[in-house]
Amino acid sequence: MAPPGRTPSGDGPPGPLSGSGPAGYRRPQFLRIERVGAALNALGTIWIFALLVLVDADILGRELFGAPVRGAIEIVGLSIVGIVFLQLPNALWAGRFTRAELLIDALGLRRPRLAAGVQGVLHLLGALALALVTVAVWPEFLRAVEIGDYVGAIADFTAPTWPVRLVMVIGSALTAITFVLLAVADFQVAASRAPGDGGARP
Amino acid sequence: MSAIEIGAWSLLAMVLLVVSGLHIAVALILLSLAGIWLIRGNFDIALSLLGQAMNDAIAGQEFGVVPLFVLMGLLVGVAGIGKDMFDVADRMLRRLRGGVGIATVFANAGFAATTGISIASAAVFARISVPEMLRFGYNPRFAVGVVAGSSVLGMLIPPSLLMILYAFLAEQSVGAMFLSGVLPGILLTLVFCGGILLIARVRPGYIGGTARGLQDGLVRGDLGRMVPIVLLVGLVLGGIYGGLFTATEAGAVGATGALLIALQRRQLDLAGFWRVLIETGHITVSVLFLIIAANLYSRMLALSGLPQAIVQAMVDAELGVAGFLAMFVVLVLVLGFIIDSASILLITVPLMLPVAQALGIDLVWLGVITIIAVEIGLLTPPFGLVAYVVKGTVDDDRITLVDVFAGAAPFALMMLLTLLVIIAFPWLATALV
Repeated sequence: MAPPGRTPSGDGPPGPLSGSGPAGYRRPQFLRIERVGAALNALGTIWIFALLVLVDADILGRELFGAPVRGAIEIVGLSIVGIVFLQLPNALWAGRFTRAELLIDALGLRRPRLAAGVQGVLHLLGALALALVTVAVWPEFLRAVEIGDYVGAIADFTAPTWPVRLVMVIGSALTAITFVLLAVADFQVAASRAPGDGGARP
Repeated sequence: MSAIEIGAWSLLAMVLLVVSGLHIAVALILLSLAGIWLIRGNFDIALSLLGQAMNDAIAGQEFGVVPLFVLMGLLVGVAGIGKDMFDVADRMLRRLRGGVGIATVFANAGFAATTGISIASAAVFARISVPEMLRFGYNPRFAVGVVAGSSVLGMLIPPSLLMILYAFLAEQSVGAMFLSGVLPGILLTLVFCGGILLIARVRPGYIGGTARGLQDGLVRGDLGRMVPIVLLVGLVLGGIYGGLFTATEAGAVGATGALLIALQRRQLDLAGFWRVLIETGHITVSVLFLIIAANLYSRMLALSGLPQAIVQAMVDAELGVAGFLAMFVVLVLVLGFIIDSASILLITVPLMLPVAQALGIDLVWLGVITIIAVEIGLLTPPFGLVAYVVKGTVDDDRITLVDVFAGAAPFALMMLLTLLVIIAFPWLATALV
């Protein structure tokens, strides 16, 4: 699979908030766990395309045949949540979480190991946040299973919400793990002997 | 500590952590959680609000606009439309002093009607029009400045990722926000062109360039190649304006049209399309996860009573609409020096919205004002993201980051002027809505 990221051809732009940033991003991780994130990301990518087809089908059905796709609105709403959580770990791994990296980058040029240490602390905070998210969405998943929560209207179209809730649990947990591994990589750079090691410099 | 104080302290901590490089979503989540915990004295309440934000904040058909319009913009980029637009404008205007600069502005305005990301415009035109200007002997500082400056049109002329973000934060319709950007976008385009012509007259040396007649004029077929993209933009924006599509549907139509154009031009293979889809996903995640985090932050602010306290202070100070707008714009501009544009919107809009509502300010108009003010921050050091992109893309040792910031400064001034005009004449933003 092609590495995720910029589009090299045409006038393809870089991402809006791209920049692979300092050490750690886009690198192999413990047990190559980033491959799991990449697989989930691929699933989310296919889901985006399916979303496009669904909305098109809904418009065509409505305008040409007077028959919109039943449940399209509900499915789109639920899909967006699913897509975001499927792609969350890979987006983090690729360094695409929005952040102001100017100060930390400037520090990295002068004191690479110190910058890596700061970066490690920031990543630990990220791990804490996503661990809390996982804890917060877990009961929502259980509730969705228990009461058989669904969107839509009975006798017309219904879709259960538990699969998306499960995706939220898995996505946020894997993102928390990714944060921990990024922090570990940072602390390894911070503790290393050779200054500037670990990709802090080109 | 009172709830208001807790709210204020968590806000301050948030800005500091964001500046020091913490991911914005993480900062919003952690400090909102801490704030709610302290205010309510109960961590379970905080967690349950977090769960609700995760569930509900982006669960709606309208959030489909993000991936669909991002996909449209990326596909148009891959199809090479930006280069075509520039070629047409360049051939028409090349003889004029500063003409290649004006061509860059027009091409940017046209490209902006297909893409919602200023960074994308900056990267495209840094690659296309800077070499062209250097070839004709333009002052490098002007060349990079005009590219950086005019790329802000990308997020003012619809579609626009910043407008989508604002619409979600202020609970306005995305379609209305898009339409509100049309006239201000055209105005800013004209101001940029006028500014370049003025500089060319007053200080021609600053622009440089030779205006020898080259063998040019329009090549037949140039304009013909523009027809599909013009039709597509007309369909997307006209569809929203005429109420034919919701914003999400317009995004799907736009993305599908862009896909067909890219295929027809043979610019897209399966691997390329996959890369575009992955990029779309990453941008979508980075925007929508911020929306989720901002949702929790709004809940924390509501619990703290901080916005209401600001409303009260404003009323007591008898600031009025003009005073509030002046303060708000200055706040956004100052924040623009230290943090990036998405963070500014996320932090200030939930805080200021209740104030604007209490003063009876039109939120669509406020949106346009906010976006232009935020975009000025894209051009100012040290966090002017666009300048970094231009510098990175041009990749020429003769052109420094200082050149880009200095070159963009006149354009930032022109934006400020345009901002004042839009504050003075609100109908510019609201006429089409």
